[in-house]
Amino acid sequence: MIFELTPSGNPCFSGIHPVLADLLRAVATDPWERYPEGSKRLLPSPSAEEDLCLDWQDHVQPGLRHQFDSDRKMIADDLKTMFLDLEKVREDSGDEGEGFRLEIPRDHAEAWLTTLNALRLAIASDHDLGERELAAQDPTDLSSDRGSALMQVNFYALVQECLLQIMEDEPGE
Amino acid sequence: MASPDLLETPETDLKEELDLPWLVVVHNDPVNLMSYVAMVFRKIFGWSRERVDKHMMEVHTKGRSVVWSGGREQAEHYVQLLHASLLLATLEKSR
Repeated sequence: MIFELTPSGNPCFSGIHPVLADLLRAVATDPWERYPEGSKRLLPSPSAEEDLCLDWQDHVQPGLRHQFDSDRKMIADDLKTMFLDLEKVREDSGDEGEGFRLEIPRDHAEAWLTTLNALRLAIASDHDLGERELAAQDPTDLSSDRGSALMQVNFYALVQECLLQIMEDEPGE
Repeated sequence: MASPDLLETPETDLKEELDLPWLVVVHNDPVNLMSYVAMVFRKIFGWSRERVDKHMMEVHTKGRSVVWSGGREQAEHYVQLLHASLLLATLEKSR
């Protein structure tokens, strides 16, 4: 998978292996449906004070949830534009293997980062992935659900790192 | 006899004084990428790289860092922004 900026400045992934393309499509997964336990991490308590927490639940969390859902819908629309780019694969590598291409509008990068983060947090929480596993350099055991989850979390981290590179070049708000 | 206007001013100041300070605390989370957290700090607080690094190191080594202190309303606003970026942040009354 290759990451680059298009001439118009949009982040673009090309030569995406079909397995990774499936993982990218899964970014649009609703974490509250797919990972009901893990998604509890996405709306944490703001305080030890019970009154404040109840107020937060009523007045803040619905807005946050709405924002997460809107971001995810934007990502789902972006993912519909991902296509199989056989010509590109042949030109670049000489291989005739399949490779998908996904161009992300630059002003969608932040929504992608948040959505990827939400999914990583929900998956990690659902599978109780800790600091040691997340930092481990050993090959992941993909034969287990836990190993697959770790691979998914790490792949989304790679996508996040790519998007963060371009955002670092942008002036702060 | 003092006018009502004159009495209101010190009450407001006293209220503000009692209201200060609330702390916005960011807690360690092994899943969030350091580069992501750094981006969020820069976006929300407009900090320099040095200041971002200082707080990142504090979160990493101490498990938490106070990233802002002040009035409750503004503190709640910052916690909301941090939660919108999925950081583990809490609001605490300073002791």
